[in-house]
Amino acid sequence: MIRKELVAASAEPLILSLLARGESYGYAIIQEIKARSGGKLQWTDGMLYPVLHRMEHRGLIKSRWGASETGRKRKYYSLKKDGKAAMTRHREQWSLVHGVLAGLRKEQYV
Amino acid sequence: MLAAGIKTPVPLEELEIHLREEIEQRMELGFSAPQAFEAAIQQIGKANMLKPEFEKVEETKEARESKRSQIALIFSLCMFLLLFAAYFLFDSELTSGQRMSGLAAVATTVLFVYIGHLGYRLFPVILNWRARLITGLSGYLLYVLWVVVFVHIILPRLDFTVSQLFMAICWASTVPLGFLDGIILGLEKAAVKKTAMADS
Repeated sequence: MIRKELVAASAEPLILSLLARGESYGYAIIQEIKARSGGKLQWTDGMLYPVLHRMEHRGLIKSRWGASETGRKRKYYSLKKDGKAAMTRHREQWSLVHGVLAGLRKEQYV
Repeated sequence: MLAAGIKTPVPLEELEIHLREEIEQRMELGFSAPQAFEAAIQQIGKANMLKPEFEKVEETKEARESKRSQIALIFSLCMFLLLFAAYFLFDSELTSGQRMSGLAAVATTVLFVYIGHLGYRLFPVILNWRARLITGLSGYLLYVLWVVVFVHIILPRLDFTVSQLFMAICWASTVPLGFLDGIILGLEKAAVKKTAMADS
């Protein structure tokens, strides 16, 4: 089970990276994260929306109301310029941490 | 969700839409309607856990609005002081002593604002933005009362030349305004910093 601090810390970079591929909506974002993590990253569905709203208020993403295939109202989110810059910063930081961990792991087996 | 205090229309509507999509998906997988509903409700999460998360969103919004109002306050004060500074620098009828005195009043005003901004740690933390707004408006009301008292009651009792009169009005109007703006900026910064610390 992934520690909740890591789940919380990875939420923003994951959302930004997903939205960098194109606009999406809440339900689809959760399903994609579940699928890509093999079910290991379990976001409580309702917890995604406060994160999305905070990111929107910080100017990282924007939203628009659209319609689903069945005609139901649906809110779509997309990345803003500031969001792209934030995503780049997140990627650099995660790459740094990953690089250090990978290096230490390599040393253990040498 | 309403009972837990999540009342704002946008989150409620989005959560409802999400719930319906979750139910539809589960029914397509073969769940019965009650099973799909129960499972979807579990996935949404407990309302009492969601409420503080949505409250953090409101705090983020307030912090941005607070920053905007601080910028507006500093900008309007700068414009006001620039007019005074331009007068003292370019009016040829003033003596050099009066010129220096006027510029010193402007500098003292700026200093008070800067001290208020830097010394925010010394200020009480008023997290409620309405309370801060009322405090600020009360301060401005007192300032206006002070200016009225100074111009209509204090000044008539003093025998000043026109230039001295202008100097007196300048010091009496700019320095208290700088002091007041310094306090308001300090209170805003203290609240924003406290909110940011609680959020991280």
